[in-house]
Amino acid sequence: MIFRCVNLRAGAKLFLSVTFTFLFLTIFIGKDLRAQEAKDMFGVCAACHTIGKGKLVGPDLKGVSARHEEAWLIKFIQNSQAMVLSGDETAVKLFNENNKIPMPPNDFTDEQVRSLLSYIENYVEEPAGEETAGSFADSKVAEHKKLETSHAPTKDRSRNYFSLILISICAILLSLSDLFILKMIRWKVVHIIIMLAAVFVMGGIVVVEIQNLGRQQYYSPEQPIAFSHKIHAGQNKIDCQYCHTTAEESKHAGIPSVQLCMNCHNVVKSGSQTGTTEIAKIYEALESGKPIEWIKVHNVPDHVYFNHAQHVNVGKLECQQCHGKVEEMDQIVQESTLGMGWCIECHRTTEVQFTTNDFYKNYTKLHEELNTGKRSRIVVEDIGGNDCQKCHY
Amino acid sequence: METRKRYSLILLGALAIGMLGLSSCNHDPNHPGWAYMPDMYYSEPSNAYSENVVFRDSMSNQLPVQGTIPRGYMPFPYKQKSYDDQILAGVELENPIINNDKNLERGKKQYEIYCSNCHGLSGDGKGYLFTSGLFPAKPTSLIGDVVQNKPDGEIFHIITVGSLSGLMGAHGSQIQPDDRWKIINYLRTLLAKK
Repeated sequence: MIFRCVNLRAGAKLFLSVTFTFLFLTIFIGKDLRAQEAKDMFGVCAACHTIGKGKLVGPDLKGVSARHEEAWLIKFIQNSQAMVLSGDETAVKLFNENNKIPMPPNDFTDEQVRSLLSYIENYVEEPAGEETAGSFADSKVAEHKKLETSHAPTKDRSRNYFSLILISICAILLSLSDLFILKMIRWKVVHIIIMLAAVFVMGGIVVVEIQNLGRQQYYSPEQPIAFSHKIHAGQNKIDCQYCHTTAEESKHAGIPSVQLCMNCHNVVKSGSQTGTTEIAKIYEALESGKPIEWIKVHNVPDHVYFNHAQHVNVGKLECQQCHGKVEEMDQIVQESTLGMGWCIECHRTTEVQFTTNDFYKNYTKLHEELNTGKRSRIVVEDIGGNDCQKCHY
Repeated sequence: METRKRYSLILLGALAIGMLGLSSCNHDPNHPGWAYMPDMYYSEPSNAYSENVVFRDSMSNQLPVQGTIPRGYMPFPYKQKSYDDQILAGVELENPIINNDKNLERGKKQYEIYCSNCHGLSGDGKGYLFTSGLFPAKPTSLIGDVVQNKPDGEIFHIITVGSLSGLMGAHGSQIQPDDRWKIINYLRTLLAKK
């Protein structure tokens, strides 16, 4: 009997604990689910509002439940415009305070709005997000360093030149001193050969450098803002022409105005590499009206005519063909020589869209030759692309 | 005496060549390098975007004189960020672009450059900048009723001066008026594709 009693009691205990756990779990998970739902719902609000991060388009929502009554809030969130039109004093005041930008109606139920409000009330900033951002930034820095080394050949080359020239000078001086003073090596041919080789090496370097006079390959100046094409064009996949808008219509590809930066940076205020320091320079320029003095990297001499529209719009070239893999550069480097040989080589090999572009209809002779099979293709050179006066006039 | 003179001459020559070589290998990435006899190398007239001593704001690029209208350019008479003007533009502006394949293709191309970053390739508002979490605000779905029910002129107003909320910036300086209409024509086809 006692045994049964104990058993019963134990059973009741078990039953009770199971039900409580179950109840607890349902409440807890339910709460969690609702919180998750509220978080998703707030994604819509986040377009215009922040919690504790200041005014965006609409007011900061921190402590919003304290500022207004719940019933009023529910009504306002569901359809603010209706309230403004009905002449609700607080609603009209808010509408006017926020530049008369209407808040679109939301089809949330009363219950949903309540959970949304409690989400806003209990909102704490997630430190986890920052942590990931930090490690993200670290990985970016590491990548940045990797990139720096990958673009090092410029520096390496000059260092090689420097040591080569030093070695050559030393060799010449040594052989000269041996020739006239020490006289350790009997055969004068050795001295002469060493000196000739050294002069040959130095002469070679001089010739290469003279050929590069007036060219700026590997020119990579530091810009007033550490703008990274790698982040914008590579990581964020923004089209080149989004910012360089006139590449299709103008001689110049165009440098974006500060207002254009603000298309994204009105909201994006902190970068992954430099935080807020570099982006703050845009706001500074916008406020002061002083233009940002970007440094032009790709220059051709004034006696060369180059037109972006002709190459981008008509020739349908990819930007990367001349500018290199810009989407992998943190700081822009001139990869091509932009020399005349480089231009001509491309004009000799690049095919023209001869049959599809009506502009070339007038070249009747070439069309005839193409049709009879005398020519298999038309390259830029065939239509006068390599005539002197095409680029020099 | 004779040998010493010859010795010093040869040494001088070697040093001169060495110095010439050394001076030419200054590869400072901040320096554009040297030009040899730079005739017609640097431009005498002001280049685009250059500094200019003539103008008070020291910029070569100047805005058109106030009150003048460039040829082939239609002024945009509507106010920015004004709900009333946006509605008015919707009533008054008419889409002048014929809906043919060529124009749609152009619209598609322009849409992919200027709009798809945020609004997504299919127009569902899930562009890469939003889905990757880089841009915190959710872009409007362009295939939703809100946008599709707007008249062309209203969308044109939004593209030109930006959205009322200010989250979408003005794209009038980036997209030519004709291209804006072509983008709108392309938008209308997105709904059918869905």
